[in-house]
Amino acid sequence: MSMTVPHETNEAVAPAQAGATAPVPPARPEGDPTGIRALIFIRDRGIFVLWGLLILGFALWANPFFASVTNAVLVANAASLTAIFAAGVAVGIICGALDLSIPGVAALAACTCGWLLENGQPVWVGLVAGMAVGVVVGLANGVISLRGFNPIIVTIGTLSITTAAASILVGGYTVPGLTQLKFMGTQRYLGVPAPVYIAAAVFIVGTVFLTRTRDGLRLMAVGGNAEAVRRSGIHSDRYKVLGFVISASCAALGGLVTTAVVTEASPAASPGIIFTALTAVALAGVSLAGGRGSLPRVLVGALILATIDNGLTIKGIDPYWGTGLTGFLLLASLGLEKWISTTVSNRLVATAQASVHTGTR
Amino acid sequence: MTEVAPALELTGIDMHYGFVRALDSIDFTVGQGEVVGLLGDNGAGKSTLLKVMSGAHRPTGGQIRVHGEEKHFQSPSAATHAGIQMVYQDLALVDAQDIATNLNIGREILRKGPLGWLGFVDHKAQRKRSEVELEKLGVRTAAMTRPVEMLSGGQRQVVALARSATRITGERNGILLLDEPTAALGYEQTQQVQALIRRMADQGIAIVLVTHNFPLATAVCDRISVLNRGKKVADVPTAATNYDEIVGWVTGARASMFA
Repeated sequence: MSMTVPHETNEAVAPAQAGATAPVPPARPEGDPTGIRALIFIRDRGIFVLWGLLILGFALWANPFFASVTNAVLVANAASLTAIFAAGVAVGIICGALDLSIPGVAALAACTCGWLLENGQPVWVGLVAGMAVGVVVGLANGVISLRGFNPIIVTIGTLSITTAAASILVGGYTVPGLTQLKFMGTQRYLGVPAPVYIAAAVFIVGTVFLTRTRDGLRLMAVGGNAEAVRRSGIHSDRYKVLGFVISASCAALGGLVTTAVVTEASPAASPGIIFTALTAVALAGVSLAGGRGSLPRVLVGALILATIDNGLTIKGIDPYWGTGLTGFLLLASLGLEKWISTTVSNRLVATAQASVHTGTR
Repeated sequence: MTEVAPALELTGIDMHYGFVRALDSIDFTVGQGEVVGLLGDNGAGKSTLLKVMSGAHRPTGGQIRVHGEEKHFQSPSAATHAGIQMVYQDLALVDAQDIATNLNIGREILRKGPLGWLGFVDHKAQRKRSEVELEKLGVRTAAMTRPVEMLSGGQRQVVALARSATRITGERNGILLLDEPTAALGYEQTQQVQALIRRMADQGIAIVLVTHNFPLATAVCDRISVLNRGKKVADVPTAATNYDEIVGWVTGARASMFA
């Protein structure tokens, strides 16, 4: 942590001398102080620790029912749907826009798929059409938002439109008996239900995309500072639209998996989806300002919600206690993150000043 | 030795807003490896001239030559393409990303083989390239993996300057336009940025520096141009002038060199 640019106080009179300054020693940048690294670790990985503590607590409290492989599978299955929707919400927020149309897109994708299957189309046609709904609505959200409208209002609009379209398509009634989709609903592979695999795939692909690929990194950068990206000669608008498309695609996938699990396609969009997903995203410390956040943490956020639900259910405690507990956790994590951020920046400023003034490093 | 064309040459630049003459036939040149200070009071036309150079404004009249070739910038990206980079006061860094990502965005190094076709970025190679580039500029800030939000104001300025500098050092050295690079910095940090500007010039980059900070201008510039109410009133080597003369030109108390 230092600025080792030499201080050329003597050049104030004759700029020509500045060229003859002493060469900078080829030193390696040194690491950060341990205290700061610990704080940053808590900020970035604290949610994993929290989840570990929750598991430990419930394992002792709800012994022997909680800490078993069967129950772990149950928790994972319960978390998978929330996790898929949370991935969509998170990518939207990271890219700079809260996508509220997610419940509507899920309903429309489900009903499109259900309607096609009811009319004798093969399963793959239904699934492809359902996902296509997500892509198209995402494109529409993105393109309309780019015209300078507030994304929240735009997605509220598309939420209404997609919900209505879903109802109109299936005549306002639920499409029942979609057992063809069982393979991605309640079917188990190696003892683990299909939705867990789907959620895992979404998070692996999403994480690799956001952290390892050029487009993913640019997407995050656009969410953080679109102007910086634009000045680097990149069409930042494309990445904004891409964020909406990914978000709506996750919503469509979530809708299809929901349909597969309950074997019926309901045109009623449930706004609860988005608030549960948002809770998981907020627990994961994804800033609503955009540009930062990590999908693995979002996954753990969804798992924490499922773990709390599951543990309290085993102990026979009413679920609304769990909702309340989640709220407290959320506020506590918010406070902790704020405290860590200010502490870290204060300390960094302190060391930066010190190293500049001592002039040694 | 053959005559080398200036890196950037403006001749007879006029800029009218309705009846207001923001710029009145301004001649301005900056050579390779030269730092030229552009001084003037608020409203003297410094920013307008800088915007003409960066392609943000199209002048009403006059010519712009880059390395001797006449150019008509339709947009800032056209100017960027010609090797002109503007560093704005607001820096425009992505706070949540690390230094290496900020320096490499828009010119990422992809991995070799199939992963590269899928768009996978070679983080290691990017960090290495950035380290080399910063070392060449004689800058060592923090670890390449440090997010920009955890840097001090001076370090951010250094990263922003380095980002622009690394984008214009192609086969021919480019032109860097700096708008108040030390406006938000303390004394020590100003010294660091000043040293960096000199080093960039020593590598052959042409630098135009717009500032209100006279000590900075006299310390870092080879030549100083002063604008007053849209006209150029002085253009002198720094060594041939002094603080009082510059203040005189800026305030209008001293008569124009070209009257």
